[in-house]
Amino acid sequence: MSEAVYNSAILNLILNPVIRALRSAPSLRLVLQFFFIMFGLALTASAADWSVPEQQLAKKIAAVTGPGAVAVTIENRSSLGRRDNEIVQNGLRGALEGLGLRVEKAEQAAATVTIALSENSTSYVWVAEIRQGAGEVAVVMVSAPRAEGAPAARDSVPLSLRKIPLWAQDTPILDVIVLEENATPTHIAVLDPERVLLYRLQGGKWQQEQALPIVHERPWPRDLRGRLVAAADHLLDAYLPGVVCASTAAMPLALNCRESDDPWPLVAGTMNGSTLSVFPSAGLANGAATVVPQMKAFFAPTRNFFTGALIPGVGKFTTVPKFYSATLLPRDKYTLWLFAATDGEVHMVVRMGRRSGHCEDSMRSGLAGAGVKFRRAGGGFGTRVRVPRSRPGCSQRGGRILRRDHRAVDGSPR
Amino acid sequence: MRLFDWRWLAVSSALAAGLATVMPAAAAETRPQYGGTLHVTMLEAPASLDPADNTQPDSFARRSLTLLMFETLVTMDSNGRPHAGLATSWQGLSGGQRWRFRLRHGVKFHDGTALTAENASSSLRAANPTWNVYADADSVVIELGSADPTLLAELAQPRNAIAKRNSDNKPAGTGPFHIVDWQPGKKLVLAAEEGHWNGRPFLDSIEIEMGKSYRDQMMELQLGKADLVEVAPEQAHRFSLEGDRLASSAPLELLALSFSREVASPEDKLLREALALSLDRGSVRSVLFQGAGQPTGAILPNWMSGYGFVFPADADLPRARQTREQVHTIPRWIIGYDSGDPVGRLLAERIALNGKDAGLWLQAASGTTADLQLVRIPLPADPWIALADVSTRVGLPTAKNKAGSVEDLYAAEQAALDTMCIIPLFHLPASYAAAATLKSWTLRPDGSWNLADAWLGSGKP
Repeated sequence: MSEAVYNSAILNLILNPVIRALRSAPSLRLVLQFFFIMFGLALTASAADWSVPEQQLAKKIAAVTGPGAVAVTIENRSSLGRRDNEIVQNGLRGALEGLGLRVEKAEQAAATVTIALSENSTSYVWVAEIRQGAGEVAVVMVSAPRAEGAPAARDSVPLSLRKIPLWAQDTPILDVIVLEENATPTHIAVLDPERVLLYRLQGGKWQQEQALPIVHERPWPRDLRGRLVAAADHLLDAYLPGVVCASTAAMPLALNCRESDDPWPLVAGTMNGSTLSVFPSAGLANGAATVVPQMKAFFAPTRNFFTGALIPGVGKFTTVPKFYSATLLPRDKYTLWLFAATDGEVHMVVRMGRRSGHCEDSMRSGLAGAGVKFRRAGGGFGTRVRVPRSRPGCSQRGGRILRRDHRAVDGSPR
Repeated sequence: MRLFDWRWLAVSSALAAGLATVMPAAAAETRPQYGGTLHVTMLEAPASLDPADNTQPDSFARRSLTLLMFETLVTMDSNGRPHAGLATSWQGLSGGQRWRFRLRHGVKFHDGTALTAENASSSLRAANPTWNVYADADSVVIELGSADPTLLAELAQPRNAIAKRNSDNKPAGTGPFHIVDWQPGKKLVLAAEEGHWNGRPFLDSIEIEMGKSYRDQMMELQLGKADLVEVAPEQAHRFSLEGDRLASSAPLELLALSFSREVASPEDKLLREALALSLDRGSVRSVLFQGAGQPTGAILPNWMSGYGFVFPADADLPRARQTREQVHTIPRWIIGYDSGDPVGRLLAERIALNGKDAGLWLQAASGTTADLQLVRIPLPADPWIALADVSTRVGLPTAKNKAGSVEDLYAAEQAALDTMCIIPLFHLPASYAAAATLKSWTLRPDGSWNLADAWLGSGKP
């Protein structure tokens, strides 16, 4: 299924505090070191626990062959890794010898045992085919549960992937905000389809402190989206399609949800009344905060996009085409709003400051300053932003929609 | 407590959101788009859409169609784990002989009536006349004669999808799409169910044309008249489709020889063994199936059982001849095949040739009045249910204990093969090709396609 564009800043939201905190908080560094040690121990533990199925299979084989010399061949036909494979092979041979069987070459053995380490969709299946003289082949087998999440190998490609989750849950994460006390991240609030979960960092682990259910009557859309937004007079608001929830101010929190088509805030930032403070990475000469009007947009309650209606709007533009996500790039002379529309295009709306003038050059350098480089679809670099000759968008008062086919624009971080 | 310093966030947001929003060409398209009509074609031409109609043979196409319009109490993932469907929770009681399923609230049939425990129970009774099913408040209770650990997997089968049968005998479902037009065996038009409990599907409608040959289907895909078509396994390798436009399931269709009667004498058994030993599956795979599928001597594919390789699939002509020579009178066997099967005739003729090499007398003929029949059996993803389905299809007694260890499963399969009523040949995947515009469609573990979350995009990378 699709990846969220609207919430793409979440990655940074989670990782950046950790990186920042690592620099300033040795305790967190210790926590991470502890985590990696524990992870290594867990790997070791999971690799060593084959003794039960080894003993079971060895007993079944011994019951057929009886004590004596056997030739043993072991073949790995499963997704078992090389290290585990070696452990199991040694373990099986040891278990057989422990039951009075001697592992010999085929010409010296009374029985030939071919063991296949196989698997099915849910578990490992170890199969032993036992041949004694000219008699029929006896087949014995055992199964061992596969570790949660371990894949079944349906092809012979020896590929394995290992996942180290930093934060994960079974239900989709719609949004996350990090909360801090005394400049240290202490809580995260996680929005999922049915709850806002509040976790506290305790002993190096996120411990659930509260689960606040989201009450809703209508079914959610399939591509559910949601937004957690810090509030001025209480901790947070949760926006979901057709539902807005507000938390209380004091702990323990409560969440009051109501059916509402209220517009969602588009860009996170430090709010002060109806304005928003934003700190762009580059493009501002003084590097200070820019204050822009808080922008909100209406979200279609049964779909996965914003309707295009904006409050208060960019200049004179109060509607733009339906869009999935939006962001703004504030600069000295203008503010550039970017809308990823549902038709696959990116729409740019420019709100000019006090000075008018070289709109195109300003925007180009501004975007470049934000880490975006533009490339022509056919290769080469150059401006991809065009302003009509009359340049009405560069007037003092208003904005101008500049439509770009986003497929013709390919940029990447520098 | 206060919010984390937003300065860094604003910086990263301006960068990351700007980059994610503006730059990657496909970024805006990664979010599902609403609207559009999906055009699907299929070889199958079902005459009924009733999931419980057992006069219609099971097929991947039927499974796919059923789950567009109907839903089951539970669903199973690729690891065999149950998930909530129309039932939100369940409980096995009395050692697995009695099960209680609590129904999801707010679910409606396509005719506007609410899903109730009564009509869910009625639906399950229609599909399983031997079950004792009844409603208890908002729950469905199923009582079995003996414990059945495979019940959840059985309930996840499309044949157990919940249907409300109205007086006009047209079943109504609760699925993501409802019927707009139904011409049996020819065409089915479906529309998105706006109030579906799991959210409206992204597609507005789906038009399905039936009875189309594989060749016609591929032509329609290439001409842009179809968005999703079936591909014969033997043709799958020919398509140099870009990216993930060709999708195949795990090999879970059993192609086998099924004898029309039980073994009549020790000589009859020897002749069947000789035929099984004479079959050169490797050559058939290379020539007829163009390398697709897996030769097998097992009923269940190895990925499902874990022990399938134990049953030999290699030809052993000397032993086949030796076995055949123990019998003095060689009967003439007719191998039947389905004339609608694109490789049926060629495969039957090839088997006849293999048999002749061992001294047997075989002749291929289309139709169903034959001594042994080429059969294609789509297997459910659960091994016990798959084994039971195959046994039912070829007229073998089903294992009474439908669960247990892998060794029990092996013993049950060995017993079925020992009857010599069935000779497994291949396990084949279900393959499909899609237009570049079709996004987010998936294959279920049972080989059917899932279009509930599919959507139509521009098709450009």
